[in-house]
Amino acid sequence: MIGSGIKRGTAELAVLSVLHDGPLHGYELARRIEQQTNGALRFTLAALYPMLYRMEQQRWIRGTWETSANGRRRRCYRLTPAGKKKLTPLQREWAELFHALQRLTKVSHA
Amino acid sequence: MPDWLKLVRQRLNGLALHSSERDAVHTELAAHLEDAYESLLGKGMSESEAAKRTLCLANDWQELQRKIHSARMRKDIMTNRVTQLWLPGLLTFALSMISMELAQKFGPAPHILSLDKGTPILMFYTAWLFVLPVAGAIGAYLAKRAGGSRRMMLLSSIFPVLPFAVVFMVAGPVGLAMGHGLVPAAYLTMTIGWVLAPGVALLAGGFLVQLISLRGSTDRTLSMR
Repeated sequence: MIGSGIKRGTAELAVLSVLHDGPLHGYELARRIEQQTNGALRFTLAALYPMLYRMEQQRWIRGTWETSANGRRRRCYRLTPAGKKKLTPLQREWAELFHALQRLTKVSHA
Repeated sequence: MPDWLKLVRQRLNGLALHSSERDAVHTELAAHLEDAYESLLGKGMSESEAAKRTLCLANDWQELQRKIHSARMRKDIMTNRVTQLWLPGLLTFALSMISMELAQKFGPAPHILSLDKGTPILMFYTAWLFVLPVAGAIGAYLAKRAGGSRRMMLLSSIFPVLPFAVVFMVAGPVGLAMGHGLVPAAYLTMTIGWVLAPGVALLAGGFLVQLISLRGSTDRTLSMR
């Protein structure tokens, strides 16, 4: 079973990576992550928003209210400089972990 | 189309946050559900099926409410500590340091306490001690204005002596135990001069503000009856 720490780590990495391409509101953010991971990462409201609020407190992302052309109000999240700084080591850590796991599974299959 | 905002408000009506913050959370979640619903309709799904699938995004409203509350309250705790303790405390600290500087430059000569050999051990700036209750009162008032508890008010008022208290509580006994030549009487005098005397002066101001605010709240309670 995947621990909550790992789950949280992957979810945060996913959010930071997707927001690196540009600001998005909650629904669009979840949809992009789901699309780009071929459905491997899906967010319920209970998984997405508490995490976004926590990441906002850590100042990795910033949410601002925006009104679209059709008058709808959406809260758009964008990456902060601190979030950009966080993304690079996080990507490296996860890449290292996956490589290590790959090596491990190859050895055990051999 | 379902009224998503109404639904979210109903399901998360126990979200114990400030009303503006709660409204913002409700609006944001309702917008998410609305977008999801419309996306499903766009894929050719019937309204009832789309509504059913959309509701699956929040299958456990209690869990959602608990998690959001927990995430948001952490922010509140952090913000509260800054406004109720750190800012008033640092301001009290700055005021006490400035008044000390002014007392040294422009105030009357200090009272000098010495040990039996006649070495000056401690200088009491009485003018400074008279100003400290004002600094303590300001700290307590600012903490109270930010919604701080009585504990926060007291901590803010005695904030300037806390670093000295820690140093004396740790360094003094360690020095005595290690036999570094620290005379117990000197240690006691320094503790009185740097911690206890200014602490009492600061606390006097803090207590005064507490008493005034307590009386004010009692008066308000009585007038409401």
